[in-house]
Amino acid sequence: MRCEEFSRRDFLKLTGAGAMTASVPLSLLEIAAAGAASPLPSKTPIVVLVTLYGGNDGLNTLVPYLDSTYYSSRPGISVDQSKVLALSDGLGFNPAMKNFQALWNANQLTIVRGVGYPKPNLSHFSSMAIWQTASPATSVSTGWIGRWLDTQPLNPMLAVSIGSTMPPAFAGAKQSGSVMPTTGFKLPSGSAQKQFKALGVQTAGASPAAQSAALSISNLYQIAGTVTSQLALGTPKPVNTALQNVGNTSLNSQLDSVATLISAGAPTRVWEVSIGGFDTHADEVTTQNALIGGVTDSVARFMSQIAGTKRANDVTVVVYTEFGRRVKANAALGTDHGTSNAVFIAGKSGVGGFVGDEPSLTQLDSTGNMLVTTDFRDVYGSILEDLLATPVGKIIPGWTTKLPLFSSK
Amino acid sequence: MTQLSSQAQISRLIHRFGFGPKPGQFAQLLAGGVASAQAAILNVPAVDSGLSQLITPTFAKIGSLVSKAAKFQDALQYYQLVFWWLDRMVLSENALPERMTWFWHGHWATAISKVNYANPMLIQNQILRQNALGNFNTMTQSMINDAALQYWLDGQQNLIAAPNENLSREFMELFTLGVGNYSQDDVTALAKSFTGYKLSLEAGTATLTPRIHDNSSVNILGSTGSFSPQDAVAVLTKEQFCQDFIAQRLWFRFYDSSNLQPDATLSDSFATRDIGAAVKALVYHSALSDPLHAQPKSPVEWLVSACRALNIQPSKLPTQSTVFSALARMGNTPFNPPNVGGWPPDQFWLGAAQAQERINLSQYLVSNGDLTPISSLPAKQRVAAAAMWLGVAGWGASTQQALASVASDPARLTWLALNAPEYVVNA
Repeated sequence: MRCEEFSRRDFLKLTGAGAMTASVPLSLLEIAAAGAASPLPSKTPIVVLVTLYGGNDGLNTLVPYLDSTYYSSRPGISVDQSKVLALSDGLGFNPAMKNFQALWNANQLTIVRGVGYPKPNLSHFSSMAIWQTASPATSVSTGWIGRWLDTQPLNPMLAVSIGSTMPPAFAGAKQSGSVMPTTGFKLPSGSAQKQFKALGVQTAGASPAAQSAALSISNLYQIAGTVTSQLALGTPKPVNTALQNVGNTSLNSQLDSVATLISAGAPTRVWEVSIGGFDTHADEVTTQNALIGGVTDSVARFMSQIAGTKRANDVTVVVYTEFGRRVKANAALGTDHGTSNAVFIAGKSGVGGFVGDEPSLTQLDSTGNMLVTTDFRDVYGSILEDLLATPVGKIIPGWTTKLPLFSSK
Repeated sequence: MTQLSSQAQISRLIHRFGFGPKPGQFAQLLAGGVASAQAAILNVPAVDSGLSQLITPTFAKIGSLVSKAAKFQDALQYYQLVFWWLDRMVLSENALPERMTWFWHGHWATAISKVNYANPMLIQNQILRQNALGNFNTMTQSMINDAALQYWLDGQQNLIAAPNENLSREFMELFTLGVGNYSQDDVTALAKSFTGYKLSLEAGTATLTPRIHDNSSVNILGSTGSFSPQDAVAVLTKEQFCQDFIAQRLWFRFYDSSNLQPDATLSDSFATRDIGAAVKALVYHSALSDPLHAQPKSPVEWLVSACRALNIQPSKLPTQSTVFSALARMGNTPFNPPNVGGWPPDQFWLGAAQAQERINLSQYLVSNGDLTPISSLPAKQRVAAAAMWLGVAGWGASTQQALASVASDPARLTWLALNAPEYVVNA
């Protein structure tokens, strides 16, 4: 795989052969209609996973600005000490991340440090597969969210990934999550409306497949009718109006759909959005600043959108990537594949502040990479037990531990 | 058991084995009856007159895909490749070879998203086409030497010192034997036998280099020896599991992805690994008349059948990107399957999101298509003529009524007909 372009698309093409259950493409209207018919009970936790494909450079994101090794290892690409947005423990944000600092100050950002999996493998593909399947030692065909779905009643709307192809994390044995393409729905109107509706009428004796085909058309129209009032509410606006026009365009458009549907009462417990381009082997600074700044702004904007809805206390955003990057910069003013990295958790559910130890910049493994101080399955453990109310051992066999990430309810 | 009408059986034959009828073809087949239609489907001419004007693309070497210009050229070559194949599917007089090439593409599912270059994808496509109705052993022997497949499944990283099992695992699980019909030890052993390839990706060559091939003795499915990749592949394809597995895949894609095959006729027909014989067994299978096996068209199958009826050569459409991006959103772009398991099964194509894409894309096709098979007729005859034109055995009552209400407007009638359940799903 061409390194510089490792993306969600590349990853998804390579994963999950035949074993998984098929994923159903849903429309925004279908999900909104389900929300209108039976809204998710209030106070039900909702998880929004933000996948960063390519391996975000954690050291230029959460900068150890008091550590001289950081500066000596990265001439030309380190973040200037005077520009770092200081937090505590000698760590501070990249200056592009001022909107995360605001969340941090409001105690709505929890940062899990040194997260990774055992025996790091520097491949994008293997690393992302491990993160999504939560199975570092053996290859399995189901994902961690998929196995959670297997414990739930059958419902294609429980987990929804924005895009056209399902991420392996959503593959279950009994049921898989769904995908929702971001393209808008534009139905034939005027006289064609009545005619198309007629195509959606069931014919006695038709095959189940033909009935599904008819249903897909009638769904389009019925749904459009049911949810007009919900959609008229439109996409929630950020409470902090300064955030309206910031953020990464692609991520904003994905998160706008999520915010709209959460606000419409969608029965979805887990959402997934993603962005690629983090594989910064060369001329890293401009690219990475723009990307991580965009992610930060988009997440802050989204949280502010949610803040104005009835679900203001229910939504937790989890930002992760497949690995961090090498401590030492390479000769092309970039960084190569690394190991441990921070996971960011935004929302009122989180305890706020740092969890886990910051890995040392001098005690490195044989590849020149930082050690893993927090097993990623402990993060999943907390999400599963505290937000999705399912024992971690049922989803990750043999795993029992979790981290104190969420305030007790 | 209720049997399908001969119209419905012939509709199955022409849609499933031939990407749908060209104007007039369905009526002609109906006049001859089922037996004659079965023979016609299998009567593949040595040279297809529909393809005489079509030139196989040759791709200029691009080299490293770093610069914007190189990436742009690479994308153009991919477009050219996709539309060349869509053109072949649409223009073939007898589309069975292209239909089988499409089946094999989904079987040896290799995606340009990783291979990157059009040229190796074209070379693989030609291997699949040459062997589409030939012998599976020969096809498999060619595929192990295929650069696109090797690169797709990390063959270049399969080294004596550090074996990579990706290719060997999928070779058994998805290409020849089926899951569960081999052990992890077989995967490890096969990976050793598959070492030694040097790839030149853009040129599309995979060269076995003895110096880097693992000559150690291994045991694959009970056969012990120092195997060349060719020898190892022969061990797999002679297995009974291979015979049953390929028969099962053919059944799955041509008849039914949810109901199992009722008998062993397909497997028996594949005893010598003759694909043509297995396809003949499919065409003459008793399931042809069983109403149980209705089958949705994948987006490519739906698009190609519409283009064949509307006399549209896809590459000649004013905006190819309209077709290309619709296929991409529907998740069915040729040369870019979602993963090594190939395209998802039938039910996947029947969601509301897919219905929406079909409604939009068919509107574009109708505006660029030749509607004379119905527009040349009096309005009263058009609804029945549309069924005959599109190869549909009959419209249900509601569709019939909707089509009749727009009989004075051939474009509207065609737009609706292409989205009717009777067209989207082959009964």
